[in-house]
Amino acid sequence: MDGVVELLLSPLGQGFVRRALAAGLALGTAGALIGVFVVQRGLGLIADGLAHATFGGIALGLLLGATPDRAIWVALPFTVAVALGIQQLRRRTSLGGDVATGVFFAVSFAAGVLFLGLRGPRGVPVNVEALLFGSMLAVSPEALTVVALVSLLVVAVLLRVGPQLAYATFDAELARLSGVRVAALESLLLALTALVVVVGAKTVGVVLIAAFVVIPAAAAQLFGRTLGATLVLAVAASLAGTAFGLFASYHLNVAPGATIVLTLGAFFFLALVLRRR
Amino acid sequence: MSLALAARDVVVELGARRVLDGVSFEVARGEFAALCGPNGGGKTTFLRAALGLVPLAKGSIEVLGARPGVATAGVGYLPQTKSFSGSFPARVLDVIAAARRGVWPFHVSGPERERALEVLARVGGEHLVDSSLRGLSGGELQRVFLARALARDPALLLLDEPTAGVDGGGRVEFFELLAGIAAREDLAALLVTHNAAAVRRLADRVVYLDGTVRAWGTPNQVLDRDWERASAFSGHDHTAPVDARCEDA
Repeated sequence: MDGVVELLLSPLGQGFVRRALAAGLALGTAGALIGVFVVQRGLGLIADGLAHATFGGIALGLLLGATPDRAIWVALPFTVAVALGIQQLRRRTSLGGDVATGVFFAVSFAAGVLFLGLRGPRGVPVNVEALLFGSMLAVSPEALTVVALVSLLVVAVLLRVGPQLAYATFDAELARLSGVRVAALESLLLALTALVVVVGAKTVGVVLIAAFVVIPAAAAQLFGRTLGATLVLAVAASLAGTAFGLFASYHLNVAPGATIVLTLGAFFFLALVLRRR
Repeated sequence: MSLALAARDVVVELGARRVLDGVSFEVARGEFAALCGPNGGGKTTFLRAALGLVPLAKGSIEVLGARPGVATAGVGYLPQTKSFSGSFPARVLDVIAAARRGVWPFHVSGPERERALEVLARVGGEHLVDSSLRGLSGGELQRVFLARALARDPALLLLDEPTAGVDGGGRVEFFELLAGIAAREDLAALLVTHNAAAVRRLADRVVYLDGTVRAWGTPNQVLDRDWERASAFSGHDHTAPVDARCEDA
C-alpha cells in the first residue's frame, strides 16, 4: 500500500509537477465556483466561446509583438470585451445566448487565425498545438502567480457578491424587485468567467478549458440540494479530478489537460448513473 | 379613503406600441380587486409598471403612497410565469428566506426557519419547508410562491394569473386558499385573471382593461355586462366594450 502511495505521489518530487498541480487546483477551484453560476444560467456554451476568443486575443498579442507568455495581457482585456459584447447582444436583441456566443466564437477564432498569419516571417515562433491544448507541465512561476491571483480574485468577489448573484441567478426579476443590480452582476460574472478562461486556456489549452468550468458544476448539480452544497461538490469534484488527472498524465506520459478533463467527464457520467438509482 | 394603489392617466409604451393609454383606477387598502381584459390588453404590463419594472411614459402610479419600486417591502408579487431557473438547487426554505432577506441565503438561521414555517402555515404548506423546489407539483409551487409573496407581511398583493398552468382542481384549491387569506388578513390585492368564477368568489371590484379602463365595477356589474351601473360605480365615463368579459377558464 505504501508503495502504491509512494508511486502515485512520486511526481511531486519535481518542481514543474508541483507548479502544475498548484495551477490546476487554483484553476479548478475558480472554474468550479464560476461554473455553478454559469451552468445555472444556461450559459455553459459561453465558456467555450470565450476560450476561442482567448485564442484571438493571444494571437493579437503576438501580432503586437508580445511573447507567448506576455500575450495573455492582451488576451485578458480582449476576452473580457468579447464577454461583455456577448452580453450586450443578448440584452439588446432577440438573439439567444447561444447565437450571440456562436457569432463571437467564430469571429474571434477567425480573427486569431488572421492575426497569426499577419505576423510575417519576423514574428515570434508559436507552438499552435500548445496554444490549443495547453502546456500545464510547463507552467512558469510567473504564470502560476497569475493563475493564483485570478483564482483568489474570483473567490473574493464571490464571497462579496455571492448572495446577490445567487438570487439574480435563481430569478432575475424577483432579485431586481429586491434591489439587486441584476445586469451589473451578470456583467461581473461574465468578466470573471473571461478571466478564468484566459488564464486556464494558457494552462490546459483553448480546447479544454470550458470543461473546467462546465463539467464539475454539471456533475454537482445532479446531487446538490442547496446552492451551498452544489458549490462545495463542484469544487471537490474539480480538485479531485485535477489531482488524479495530473498524476495519471505523468504516469501515462500524455498531456495532462486531456487526462484531467477525461477524469472530470468520468465523474460526471458516474454522477449521472448514481443519480438515476 | 386610504389607498393601496392609485393609477392616474397612466401611459406605457413598449417600443413603438402604446400598451396602456390613460389608465386610471384605485384600489383601497383592504380591497380585493380583479384586473380582467383580453390578451394584450395591458394587464401584466400594468402590474409590472406598478412594480417599477416598466417605466411610465406619462401619468403616475402610487403604490402604498410612494412611486413604483419604492415601497417594495410592502408589496408581495406573484408573477405570471415563474421565471425562476427550474434546475436551481433550492429548498422551499431557501426561497422564503431569500424573499425576506432580499438576497440568497447560503445558511438559514433557526429564527429564519421559524419565520418561514409561520408564513408557509398561512398557505397550508408547512410540510414543504425542506422540500426541494425541483420536486414540487404546479399546485405546490403556487403555494410556495404565494407564501414567498406573503413573506414580508405585505399590505398589497399583486397576483398575475397565479393559476396559469395549474389543473382545474388545483385552481379551485388555490383560489379558496386566496379567499381565506383575503378574509383573515387586512390585505389589498390586485389579481390579474381570466377566471370569472375566481373574480366572483374573490373580488370586491373588477377593472376591465383593454389598453385603457373600459369598465370598473362590482363583479356582477362587469361580468353581467351592466355597463351603465359599472361606469357609474367607477365615477368615470367608461365606454362599454363590445365583448368585455372575464373568460371562464
